[in-house]
Amino acid sequence: MTENPKLDRLKELLSEVDDLRKAATLLFWDQRVMMPPGGSEARAEASATIGRLAHERFVAKELGSLLDELNDEDYDFESFEASLIRVTRRDYEKAVRVPPSLTGEMRHASATALSAWGPAKEKSDFAALLPHLQRNLELRHRYVECFEPGNETYDVLLDDYEPLMKTAEVREIFEGLKRDLVPLIKEIADAGPVDDSFLHEEFDPEAQREFCYAVVRRFGFTDEQWRLDTTQHPFMCTPGEGDVRITTNFRPNDLTSVFASMHEFGHGVYEWGVDPSLQRTPLGSGVSLGMHESQSRTWENLIGRSRAYWRFFYPQLKDVFPAQLGSVDEEAFFRAVNKVHPSLIRIDADEVTYNLHIILRFELEQELIDNRLDPKDLPGVWNERMDEYLAVEVPDDAHGVLQDMHWAGGSLGYFPTYSLGNVMSVQIWERLKEDLDVDEQMERGEFGEIREWLRSHLYVLGRKFTPQETIERVTGSRIDAAPYVRYLRDKLAPQHA
Amino acid sequence: MTVGTVTAPLDRLRTALAEIADLQHAEMLLDWDSRVSMPHAGARARADASATVGRIAHERFISDEVGELLDELAPLGAELEPGSADAALIRVTRREWERFRRVPAALAGEMRHASGIAVAAWDEAKAASDFAQFAPHLEHQLELKHRYIECFPPAKNPYDILLQDYEEGMTTAEVAAVFEVLKPELLSLVDDLRDHQVDLGPLGGPFSVAKQRAAGERVLDAFGFAAGSWRLDETSHPFASNPGIGDVRLTTHYDETNLHSLFSTMHEFGHGVYEWGVDPSFARTPLGGGTSSAVHESQSRTWENLVGRSRGFWRWFYPQLQSIFTDELGAVDEESFYRAVNAVRPTLVRVDADEVSYGLHIILRFELEQELLSGAVRVDEVQEEWNARVHEYLGLDVPDDAHGVLQDMHWSIGLIGYFATYQLGNVMSVQFWRRAVSELGDAEDQFARGEFAPLREWLRENVYRHGRMYEPRELLRRVTDSDLDPAPYLDYLRTKFAA
Repeated sequence: MTENPKLDRLKELLSEVDDLRKAATLLFWDQRVMMPPGGSEARAEASATIGRLAHERFVAKELGSLLDELNDEDYDFESFEASLIRVTRRDYEKAVRVPPSLTGEMRHASATALSAWGPAKEKSDFAALLPHLQRNLELRHRYVECFEPGNETYDVLLDDYEPLMKTAEVREIFEGLKRDLVPLIKEIADAGPVDDSFLHEEFDPEAQREFCYAVVRRFGFTDEQWRLDTTQHPFMCTPGEGDVRITTNFRPNDLTSVFASMHEFGHGVYEWGVDPSLQRTPLGSGVSLGMHESQSRTWENLIGRSRAYWRFFYPQLKDVFPAQLGSVDEEAFFRAVNKVHPSLIRIDADEVTYNLHIILRFELEQELIDNRLDPKDLPGVWNERMDEYLAVEVPDDAHGVLQDMHWAGGSLGYFPTYSLGNVMSVQIWERLKEDLDVDEQMERGEFGEIREWLRSHLYVLGRKFTPQETIERVTGSRIDAAPYVRYLRDKLAPQHA
Repeated sequence: MTVGTVTAPLDRLRTALAEIADLQHAEMLLDWDSRVSMPHAGARARADASATVGRIAHERFISDEVGELLDELAPLGAELEPGSADAALIRVTRREWERFRRVPAALAGEMRHASGIAVAAWDEAKAASDFAQFAPHLEHQLELKHRYIECFPPAKNPYDILLQDYEEGMTTAEVAAVFEVLKPELLSLVDDLRDHQVDLGPLGGPFSVAKQRAAGERVLDAFGFAAGSWRLDETSHPFASNPGIGDVRLTTHYDETNLHSLFSTMHEFGHGVYEWGVDPSFARTPLGGGTSSAVHESQSRTWENLVGRSRGFWRWFYPQLQSIFTDELGAVDEESFYRAVNAVRPTLVRVDADEVSYGLHIILRFELEQELLSGAVRVDEVQEEWNARVHEYLGLDVPDDAHGVLQDMHWSIGLIGYFATYQLGNVMSVQFWRRAVSELGDAEDQFARGEFAPLREWLRENVYRHGRMYEPRELLRRVTDSDLDPAPYLDYLRTKFAA
């Protein structure tokens, strides 16, 4: 309780909204992990109702009046109270601008388009998805019109995923990345191929599962607070404080489950580390998708593809898979899991080329929303740019423009957060390395101090500050791609004699 | 009268009710998940979320808006064919709305809160086997029940009001009349049977959990469990849950030292199949569920006992069970096994009781609950009363409270008036059963061939699909042409056990 009854009432209303959102999260998780398929129809209705009620309660008049009456400047900027009022007001002002009818139409169109996406991808039939994309785009235009015009139309979309970030900033960062990464990819290609054939042997899913558990347990996963399940598409969610759920996918012919587990652990540990006092308020989760991705990529790549990490874990992995890896030494394995090779599919891409997949999507999204690109021309333009950026030829739309579900789901503005996450991950990691000898820790299989540093510097903050304030607090500087490019070059550029 | 003016308020009522059903769907899933899949540390946040979702569902249901719609629909309700689904929807919703509306939100909140605290206290008291620790919580629950009862127009017996929450339309006097017939008969049956020599050796195990699971799944498959709509999980206390249509979830508990899991699996199947069989057009309305606790229990007991402890069932399943447990059961013949799973042996603990003595456990609780409520027995006397009656009815000495007055959690969560429905379920199960068998022919013969679909479909057609269309009494009459009647049940017990 605080001394201000209005603030108490605000917290009470917000905790109800949060409870409904947590219930919606559980409905979502259960549908993917537990629910018998026969329950889909009823679940879709229940999820829609709970989502709608959460939204209605959040945009309720009473909540708006409380926000009018409360002033964040009555409190210290750093305080919980000031943050709560600031962040809630911003969320509220965005939420009330969109009429419920439009939200409903968007949700419905996304659901319909997502159902069409699966078969369209399977048959590599872009024409089947096109009307849905056109519809989503039309709805996004109406959505954008609900807001004050920004400098660029795309700003409004981006703001949903990366609050307060502007298209122009992202463009500048991405231009820099493109300039530095295209030559790096070429240098690596010129140095000759890396053998990773042993990563495509048969790996028993049960043994993979055991190894994944061993890894995430060393990271800090406990049965008391976490779950790890199997789904086709890995994801993370937190249906409540002290309840972090991650999933992975065990494929019989590779070890991607290990990286997916670490990736989802990174998302999970961020939520896990949010200050408990922020729970049941809008402050109680990660600050942006980009920042979230920075943490999944930290645990997947900066840790999980590092030499020091494999110094500790490779002997264990070899013990689990002696037939496949017995004759492969640590260095060869390290090179294989860090192989840079342009490919068609974003989610299978390596650390370097991944960003070009994102940049391509970021550019196309802007062209679509600015009506500079007609959706029906997407496949052709997609294929041209894949050739231009990665020098790969797209054989069909399933391996091209249809590969991701994002656009079908109506998520325009989401993709850039993946690369922004990569960029921020290294900024934060470099700052962490000033305080900790991370290699020495990882070689010993110790991740507690790394986790604790990240928790106490970043995770605890939740949404108390803007993403920009958050990165500056943690690293002392604004978002900056230079450390990331340096990291990639140091780790992956061919050694010059 | 135009169609528009008639259907519009009904559509609006359906929309409002569907939303409430969706909240209940979420609430049920939050509960299922907390027992099956939630990491322990999530408990506190889950309690918050469940409370909020439950409260919002309740508030929306008792809202003025629903009341106004019901008022608007009153003339239509009177005009419609009483047997129609629309009439039933208006009737059932009205009845429930009026009942819930009477309880002030503050009292409802206090009751929920007290239950949360008392169940934790019960847990600790049971572990310490110390009733004194739990006594103040029981006192508080009783006080809340008195306040709850005061929200309603005075009834002949205040206990009637509690009973109504679980068994619509049933009065204390009616239940007492049935139990008075049962009591002397059960006492004398138990007395006759307690010294029968039955070799319980075959049930000694150990029985591996993996094999028990395989056996249970085989039974469920034959009963009609379809993977596309059902789940089976493991929890310490078995239960059934049906968050939404097409989604039936059972749990069971495996213990290496016995084969109870098979019976609890069949029991929960009975609860699940009842919900599964409700007319799909009732989904997302108050009609979409079982009509009462007793009718629900009649179905769990049907599948657990009338089917699962029958000779016909074991004729079919015993050879399969033997092939699963070759070492443990290879040398045990079917007759010995059948006798072992039907042995009558008074026990201290209700949930371990056999078919015959079970009723006495319930009668004891039904009596004590009324006496506690009327003040005839004080909370500080209940432990002594309990022990005296266990001695009187079952001939057993209660060694400690954990095996006595503290064994059940019901009172801690405010379930006073609930126990009676277990035994009413037993009584009804045989009433329904008699009618089913009279139409299906020799059900045991069908079971012996592993055929359970005829019984299941008969029950679906005659009982399950009606959901809450009819009150329990009316459903019984429609199916059996008779009122609640203990005679068939007693006859069944005598035939099966006294032979």
